[in-house]
Amino acid sequence: MSKFVERPRYVCALGGAVGTLKVLPRTIPILHAATGCGGNVALALNQAAGYLGSGYCAGQALSSTNASEREIVFGGEDRLTEQIANTIKLIDGDLYFVITGCMVEMIGDDIKNSIKKFDGGDVPVIGAETGGFHGNYYKGYEIVLKTLFRDFVEQKTVKDRKLVNLWGVVPIQDVFWKGNMALIKDLLTKLGYRVNTFFGDGETLDNLRHSAAATLNIVVSDTFGVEAAQVFQEVHGVPYISVPFPIGDHGSESFLRRVGSALGIANAFVDKVIEREQGYYYSYFERLGDVYSDLDLQRYAVVVGDSNYTQALARFLADDLGWLPELVVITDFLTDEQQDTVRRNFAGYESGIEPELVFDTDASNIGKYIAGHWGQSNGQRYFEGFNPGFILGSAIERDIAEKLGVPQLTVTYPISNRVVLDRGYAGYAGALRLTEDILSTLVGSR
Amino acid sequence: MDYIREKTPPVRENRLGACMAFGGSCCELSAQSKKGCLYNNNRTFSQSQGCQLTLSLAILNTIRDSVIVVHSPIGCGASLVAQAGIAKGFQKLRDPNAFGLRWINTNLDELDVVNGGEEKLRSAILYADREYRPSAIIVMNSCVPSLIGDDIDAVIEDLQKQVTAKIVPVHCEGFKTKIQATAYDAVYHGILRHLVGVEKYEDPDPVIPDELEELKEKYRISRTVNVLNVSSMSRMDEQELVKLLQSLDLNVRILPCYAHPDDFADSYEAALNVSICATHDDYFSEHMKTKYGVPFILETIPIGIANTNKWLLDIARVFRIEERAQKLIASEVGALEAVLTPYREFLTGKTALLGGGEIRILTTAELLHSLGIQILGLRGFHFDRYGEALLDQLLEDVPASERAIINIGTGQPFEQANLLARLKPDVFVGHPGGNGWANKQGIPVFPLFGQTYNYMGYLGVFEVARRLTRILKNTSYSRNIVKHARLPYRKDWYDQDPFSYIDQGVADQGMAL
Repeated sequence: MSKFVERPRYVCALGGAVGTLKVLPRTIPILHAATGCGGNVALALNQAAGYLGSGYCAGQALSSTNASEREIVFGGEDRLTEQIANTIKLIDGDLYFVITGCMVEMIGDDIKNSIKKFDGGDVPVIGAETGGFHGNYYKGYEIVLKTLFRDFVEQKTVKDRKLVNLWGVVPIQDVFWKGNMALIKDLLTKLGYRVNTFFGDGETLDNLRHSAAATLNIVVSDTFGVEAAQVFQEVHGVPYISVPFPIGDHGSESFLRRVGSALGIANAFVDKVIEREQGYYYSYFERLGDVYSDLDLQRYAVVVGDSNYTQALARFLADDLGWLPELVVITDFLTDEQQDTVRRNFAGYESGIEPELVFDTDASNIGKYIAGHWGQSNGQRYFEGFNPGFILGSAIERDIAEKLGVPQLTVTYPISNRVVLDRGYAGYAGALRLTEDILSTLVGSR
Repeated sequence: MDYIREKTPPVRENRLGACMAFGGSCCELSAQSKKGCLYNNNRTFSQSQGCQLTLSLAILNTIRDSVIVVHSPIGCGASLVAQAGIAKGFQKLRDPNAFGLRWINTNLDELDVVNGGEEKLRSAILYADREYRPSAIIVMNSCVPSLIGDDIDAVIEDLQKQVTAKIVPVHCEGFKTKIQATAYDAVYHGILRHLVGVEKYEDPDPVIPDELEELKEKYRISRTVNVLNVSSMSRMDEQELVKLLQSLDLNVRILPCYAHPDDFADSYEAALNVSICATHDDYFSEHMKTKYGVPFILETIPIGIANTNKWLLDIARVFRIEERAQKLIASEVGALEAVLTPYREFLTGKTALLGGGEIRILTTAELLHSLGIQILGLRGFHFDRYGEALLDQLLEDVPASERAIINIGTGQPFEQANLLARLKPDVFVGHPGGNGWANKQGIPVFPLFGQTYNYMGYLGVFEVARRLTRILKNTSYSRNIVKHARLPYRKDWYDQDPFSYIDQGVADQGMAL
């Protein structure tokens, strides 16, 4: 049984569905939900996500039935049919996707009855039940992907051996999704493949429509998008691998090797790609030698966030930057099985660092774990403590960082104190951006 | 008005016959409103808006030393996620020891929908009390528990016996109303029932009464006004209004935003409730009058010279110090007029469309008109009798305004896009959330309000004139993006009647644009 969440850092499944659809090219989400659901999630999908903006047709423009007492009492299917028809008439899109809120599901509205009235029309209309009580943002992402793979992606009998699909980088909930997709795509391009990310720059809905031609689906996560990959495999026969999100040399090397092996690429070729990337990466990384040593920029670190980011950040801090990320707090809703899978990514560090790993959704507990790990000062003369410390987390961690007097960089959702456009932290080039941001936080307060 | 014996307040559709869909001229709206048939209007296509829970948070997330418990699935109250890292700064302007937002979501899931969510609510309240030891725990009820029949009042009544914090239920289920502003009634309802009143604070030890002290206290109360602030105003706005009232020798208590829960207990010990905005405060003011006999004023908002003058004179009349107020007004207006000249020269002849809350846009329109700007149209979130009074005032004050377009709807940027394409104003003055769309049409934007800028009182007039001039000095940003961005509407939408999707029954008379 689930419990309450103190300061949650995600919205509901409906929010995840809106977020995912809002950034899918020329896709028009249509909300069948109580008055307010759309407006409620709008700020979280904009201001809490590095000021992403309203998108093509979300924010206040999001089509919504705004169901109220009348629909809740008498049923809202007619209102939904009217809303779909008028949305198509008014809004210019290539795919119309109906999603639902809690209330209309609870009263038993069946969106299929409305959707089937548009079968055979000029534009595709599909839909899914995404009521908030089904789960958080990630659940909405998963439901939307599954529905797209089942109801929108076309069957392909001829496969393209040089084409792969990539997901698991969750738009908006990963605030740097756009940059990260481009960076990972770039790495895979260097392995000789073309990549569909569905959401990335230069892609259209056709990339998604024809994605069943791919030879492999790469889920850059152990948790998000895995169920959708199973659906894809079931419906279209494309196998998948699930690999951790990579940041920095150690993470990216392991990523490239696992992908290389799944695709049957010769080791020698993968070695060459890695070597070239490392050459570029360390040519910059080594420039830090002076400042890193002169100012002693090594830090103890706490990493707070989702299961994708935390493992990548901790690995980068420990094995690339040589820091001591001794405490990691993962704030997702995860099953015991998922927790075990995630836990494996925090072992076997080359640096020998073994972070203390905690699964906890409640923000207030982070301070307690810090005190538990490093001890609490009682004013004694000799005290080890979380010092010099650094917190990599979300805007919610600004409070604890301020309280403890340690610097903090906001890299996990919610991010309301930074503007994010195409910046990404994935791979080799992304890790250099992250290094700039982390160390700038330190030298910026000199 | 006396609803506070009920557990939940009525919705504004019923209480005020508020309207959320209209399109026509100002003159038509005024006439239709008087017939009282606008509340039935609806849309056959609608875009998303906030609910009363979302808007309730605008006040509740400012209350100091409290914890908010949102009893709902995990997404309700999502705006808190966006404000989590930044709200502290605004709180600190009022209280240096503020600690930022503290909230809990009860995370109702599929099982709870079947089995009920009262246990989760109970555990969240107990956690809030134990973890933070707050003065108040504010429990917000949402759609799902309301539909499954959770009795949050019973849970609260039971827990109040074991919890030191005052527990305040706020019934703000989104599906119950399309008029978001019902939120204010929901919040004030909770405050009136659970925080206001002599029984809400501890009795001091009985001592021998000191008659002189009692007299002094009585005098102090007779000169105390409650200024009811709104979360859309800035600290600078508050300071300006306090300064004006203090120069009339009045004591000012500011409620409800950024107040401490204990500040409400003796809030009835005041000579007058001064509303900044009728949309915000009529429920509270009326009840304070019914229950405690505190008179109130809420006719206007102190935006623009005319309305600030009126606001001050309304207050002064209650204290019979109109002459003093006249002198204050004369000196303030004299100084202000002298500095406005260069801005008026720059702004005269420019055109504007405004969008936002009814009270705010109608008064801001008067302010812009006084600076030489021509008002092409207005878009109000909703419309009720308080808007009607101000609209009639505007029709009187501003020549030619009867022909200006007025469109009622919460958000609904598709209607805004159509209007902007037709009217092509020099500036759009809009409520946050709808401004980006105007920018994408190449129209420069002046935000209708902002928590870091001054809009109210005499200083507000100068500040608005100055900032509007600044914004129009370089409009490159909007001119650049219009070339590369496009709105989602089909091209033929812009040739259609902007109010085609409003089902306004008797009010439908078409538009001559």
